[in-house]
Amino acid sequence: MLAASLALNGLVMGSVLLLFSLGLTLIYGVGRIVNFAHGAFFSLGAMAGIWSANSGLPFWAALFVVPLGVGLLGVALDWLVFARIRDRPMVDSLLLTFGLALLITGVLYELGGRNVQILAIPPALQSVVSLGAIKLPMYRVFLSAVAVALTMALLLFLKNSDWGLRVRAANDNPEMGACLGIDREKLMHSVVGVGAALAAISGVVGAPIFTAYATVGDKILILAFMTVILGGLGSLRGAIVAAYVVGLITVFGEGYFGGQLALMLLFVLVMAMLINWPRGFFGEGRTE
Amino acid sequence: MSDEIATMPMPGTDRRFTGLALLAAAALGASVPLWTENMPFVLILASQAVVAAIVALSLDLLMGSTGLLSFGHAAWYGFGAYLTGIAAKMLTADVVVLLPLTVVLTIVLSAIVGFVLVRQIGKTFAILTLAFGQILFALVFVLSSITGGEDGLQGIPIPTAFGFQIVKPAVWYWLLYGVLLVALAGAFHIRRSPLGKAWLAIRENTERARFIGLNVSLLKLLSYIVSASLAALAGGLFALFNGAASPDLLNWFESGKVLMYVVLGGVGTIIGPVIGAAVFTVTEHYVSSITDSWLIYFGGFFVLIVIVAPGGLFGAVSNLWQRIAAARRGMSA
Repeated sequence: MLAASLALNGLVMGSVLLLFSLGLTLIYGVGRIVNFAHGAFFSLGAMAGIWSANSGLPFWAALFVVPLGVGLLGVALDWLVFARIRDRPMVDSLLLTFGLALLITGVLYELGGRNVQILAIPPALQSVVSLGAIKLPMYRVFLSAVAVALTMALLLFLKNSDWGLRVRAANDNPEMGACLGIDREKLMHSVVGVGAALAAISGVVGAPIFTAYATVGDKILILAFMTVILGGLGSLRGAIVAAYVVGLITVFGEGYFGGQLALMLLFVLVMAMLINWPRGFFGEGRTE
Repeated sequence: MSDEIATMPMPGTDRRFTGLALLAAAALGASVPLWTENMPFVLILASQAVVAAIVALSLDLLMGSTGLLSFGHAAWYGFGAYLTGIAAKMLTADVVVLLPLTVVLTIVLSAIVGFVLVRQIGKTFAILTLAFGQILFALVFVLSSITGGEDGLQGIPIPTAFGFQIVKPAVWYWLLYGVLLVALAGAFHIRRSPLGKAWLAIRENTERARFIGLNVSLLKLLSYIVSASLAALAGGLFALFNGAASPDLLNWFESGKVLMYVVLGGVGTIIGPVIGAAVFTVTEHYVSSITDSWLIYFGGFFVLIVIVAPGGLFGAVSNLWQRIAAARRGMSA
């Protein structure tokens, strides 16, 4: 019984993780930037959810406004900051996003991020769903539905739209893409924007469960890093499988051994996996 | 990443001048306790700066020599602090036993972790070191019955050496400063040795280093172990000096700080990160006494440095100096 309920919760966790990791994977795939500030986008989303609730904005409106705002911030950041180091060695992009993460966290601390706050669940979603003998709060069902729907939408968009074609081309072979007239600069603005928006929306919908404070994104960032490494850096389908694997391991570990030990278990697992399969589940991750 | 400072050919007179300048700087550093007798706080701050300098040096031994970028170096610093603190409470307060014990255990653990880590390339290594740092951070809370959890490790006994208690701040300062000088001398020695040359070869071009027959994984592992051990030693010294250790030592902000020391000073210059650490620690103290939002300035400054002066402030200054010197030579010719 516990196992079944943990499995369901693991799927919920995996869905959120997936939504968050997709942005990380895309930004890496197109810009070759490992975005250490992605967790800060999540925290920013969660905190923005609280701010909009405090200012009287309904939950549904926040679901649109917050990702839009953070997405625009992402575009601005790429345009003003990331663009400055486009042709620099890898080290600089890592250091830059790391500094950015510190900066955003610092700002969030000043804007009330020192205290843990919980976003109230809207009344329509406060019920409990019973699946046989397992009871699952309605909100968790909603959370995974949002995450899965957005993920599907993004994947379909990547597969069928012109933008998606460009993103996939730049992901697979940036030089060839540039030869065919893909403006990597503009593409990167939009990719960072989308990635930031996805992180922010996972922050908002996660806020009633994961709570909101300045460093709430840290743990999810670590889990997402484990996800992208397990799936292979830059591999989309790898990330999808890995997100659910990580989600299930985390939730089961928490259920049986307690929260922090689960994280350690996961780390050992990732390390063990890297010895034999450094390119992730589908063997298509980049090692550079 | 060019390494102009370390590899710049120096004429004889310049070298003698540099040697004298270094000696003068070392003497100035050693004299701090003499003129701060009435300002005990300044001495404590100076001691903290020296610890920070040792940690910065340890990271530069990894980043500057093999080019591996660690985003979780505070893990080893905090590991050393907690290990020494716990051992001091449970076993003995004798530093002659404690510090070697810490170093040996760190060598064992870092060899195990490093074995997998150093086989990863660039970004994966960076991500995994960050994750490892967070894991150790979490471990403090899992083992809160031993580590004190959120409150930190309290009540570390006053350490002894050969039966004498180490209490006086001045003695502490000289002890820490001595460790720094020895570590610096060791780092310069390694840089000139075949080992240091092999490390630099790996940093410049791993592929070619492998082709000329270097055992790249082993050499990288060695640099990881050396770096981790020195950081743990610094952590152990800090825990004994401070009498307590807090989980903040393992936080990724701390790792960011260490990284900042090295970037600020110039990666791979050995002396740069040491100066960077000292300058940064003192600045941090005075800025955070003025404003609460230290992290904003820190993060903003970090971003700015990476964009504007990727070689660090000292790199930028020496670049400027060279340019001025070249211009002057051009005018006289």
